Parts: sequence; C-alpha cells; structure tokens
Amino acid sequence: MTTTNWSDEELMAYADGQLAGERRAPLAAAIAADAALRQRVEALAAQRRRVAAAFADVLDEPVPQRLSALLSATPAPAVVTDLAAERERRAARKPGLSWAHWGGMAASVALGVVLGLQLGSRSGGAGSDALLSEAGGQVVAGARLAQALDTQVGAEATAGDAGVTVQLTFVAKDGRYCRTFSAERVAGLACRDAAQWAVQTTVAAEGAASGAAAGMRQAASALPRAVLEAVDARIEGVALTVEQEHAAREKAWKR
Amino acid sequence: MSMADSLPSVRTQIAALLPRLRRFGRTLAHTREDADDLVQMALEKALTRTDQWTPGTRLDSWMFRIMQTTWIDELRARERRGQTFVPEEEGEHVGITPNDAQMDAMAVRKAVSRLGDDQRAVVGLVLVEGLAYQEAAEVLGIPVGTLTSRLARAREALQAMLGGTTP
Repeated sequence: MTTTNWSDEELMAYADGQLAGERRAPLAAAIAADAALRQRVEALAAQRRRVAAAFADVLDEPVPQRLSALLSATPAPAVVTDLAAERERRAARKPGLSWAHWGGMAASVALGVVLGLQLGSRSGGAGSDALLSEAGGQVVAGARLAQALDTQVGAEATAGDAGVTVQLTFVAKDGRYCRTFSAERVAGLACRDAAQWAVQTTVAAEGAASGAAAGMRQAASALPRAVLEAVDARIEGVALTVEQEHAAREKAWKR
Repeated sequence: MSMADSLPSVRTQIAALLPRLRRFGRTLAHTREDADDLVQMALEKALTRTDQWTPGTRLDSWMFRIMQTTWIDELRARERRGQTFVPEEEGEHVGITPNDAQMDAMAVRKAVSRLGDDQRAVVGLVLVEGLAYQEAAEVLGIPVGTLTSRLARAREALQAMLGGTTP
C-alpha cells in the first residue's frame, strides 16, 4: 500500500496522460505496487475509451451539404478547364480523397435544390427546349438535356447542345450510367434508366451561365460541390475515359 | 492559382475539420439538428474572421472555441425566449436492432447529454476530441485547475449514471 494520498484528479490526469512532472513517476510506482490504485486508474482509462467510442460514429456520417457548401463557396472559384487533366488528377490522387474534395474548388453554389419543373420551358410545356421534365412523379431530362446527355462525349459540346455541357460519366453502383451536366443556371447529375435519364440532383450554379457568356469553352463549366458529392455517393470505380464514353454512347447508354 | 491567397487554404483546412466539429457539436448540443445548426453558425462566424486565426496555431482549438462561445450565446438566447430542450430520442437513429456496442454508445451519449453545459464541453474536448488539459482550458478560457476539477466532476457523474462495466 502506498502511504501517499492520491487525489481523484491526479489519478484522472495520470489516466489521461496529463499528469505532469514530479508527480508522475511516484504515482506510476504506486500503481505498480497497489492493485486497488491500478484498478481505479484502469477504470478511468476505460471510461475515457468508452466515451470516445460513443461519439466515434459521428466522424463517419456524411457531412450535411449545407455545412460543406459554406466552405466550398470560395471567392475565386476554379473551374474544370480540362477534363483530361482532371481525370489524370483523379487517377493520381490518393485514395480517400473524393470528387467532392476536389470539388471544393468548384463554383460557388447557390444553396438549395432547384425544383426541376421550374427549370423547364418558360412557355410552360415540356417542349424541345425543356431542360427538365417529369415522368411518373420523377424528374427526368427534358428534350434539350436528354439530347446533350445522349450525344455529348468527351465534353465536346457544340452550339447544337443548346447551352448544356456534360462533364463526367461513370458507372453507378446500381449499374447505370450516370453523367454530370450543367446548363445556364443549374448543374446536376442524371442516370440512365431503361427509358430516360433520371435526374438525381440539381443545384443552382451561378457560375455556369457567366462562363458560357464569357465565351469560355463549355467544358469549363464548373461543377458545384453538391453535384460532386452526388457523384461520390454513386460512383463505382472511376470515371469513364473518352473512349469508354464513345463505346457507351454506341450502346445508347444501356448496360 | 495564387498560393499567396491564404483564405482558400484556411477554408480547406476548416472543411477537413468538419467531421470533428460536428462531433464536438454533438457533445454540446442535445440533438443532431442543434449540433449541425451550431456548426453552421460557428462556420459563418469563423469565415468572417479567418484573419484572426494565427497560422501555426491549432485551427481545431480555434474552431472549438468559436463553437463553444456560439453555443453559450445560443443557450442564453433560448433562456430568454423560455425555450426548453427537446430531449433526443436516441432510438430513432437506429433503423435495425442495435448491437451491444451501439446500445452502450446510446447510453453513454444520453448520460453525457444529462451533464451540465460546462461539463459537456470539457468531456467533449478532452475525452472525445482528445485535447490536452491545457489546450482544452485555453479553448474554454479557464485555468487548467478549473478544467481539471470540472472534468473530474463530470466523470464522477458519468460513472454514477453508467457504472463501470463496458460490454
């Protein structure tokens, strides 16, 4: 038995690795010689592990979009100017970094999901210039978006694509082809169903329009973080190469 | 891109801390929604004053401090409004039958939520976020002796609520 009185606070500090200086060695010796003391310290260490474990899962939760978006709205947003370069960067990057991670550089995002139907033709009907449409209660690509999603490959947008740019193509975990797109004031992700492109996410993107207006290559449209996070949530493997995109287009994006 | 512009890099560093900020929020606040609201308020504050963070010092401690003061302000505002807390129903977040570890985690989180506001902060900083006593004391703006006694009382209270056995 030790003759020294050890306070609870000292035992706690020892268990937490926080007992400083000259008190540490005597306590270590006392613990070695006193089973009861050792038990108290071990109980404190166990409590520490137990409390830490109770909150550990929070780290694995997806960070809500409203929080990450606050930090992605950088004053001078970078844009995806070269898809090939982005692919190389993605291939070279360390595992664990995500699309959303490099998307932190992407355009400023006006928060909030844009309801698809508001983005359709202003004349009201789902005409040939509708970006988004509705089918069976689901938001799907309208004629204009579907045209771009069906035909565009390797970010080779032309004037005929009517302001829609397709950037990344990938195979989702559910086996569908999915493609990111951006248009005047919106960016999003669509995945190919049997009959149509089902729109998974749309985000208002302020950068998309100004880029086109400035005469930049349409491939330069920036991808908002929310879209990249939607990619992250679905992607299986890596994005398609241009050659793979050509092959997929020949099969009408069916697998 | 200019490397001289430090603002994006602070943003990037804060973004990397988000999971931990959310976790610290969960020890302070009683519900997940409150915790994320708290993180959001703290982020908005932090982004207006990134120039006040000294590069080379701990950014996590800086953010934790902003969260803590924001939370205290929020508690006072709620007190003025006469608003009471809605106790978190832990079970609602578990869709399937929880295993032993999940059951224990729920019991521990519930016990932490029953601690006083001051005690939850020290538990969060030291036991969950792993800050040294001195670092935690600086975050809270209190002497390290005060932190130590506060932590000891919090751990006694947890011990009384939870007992000593771990499944």
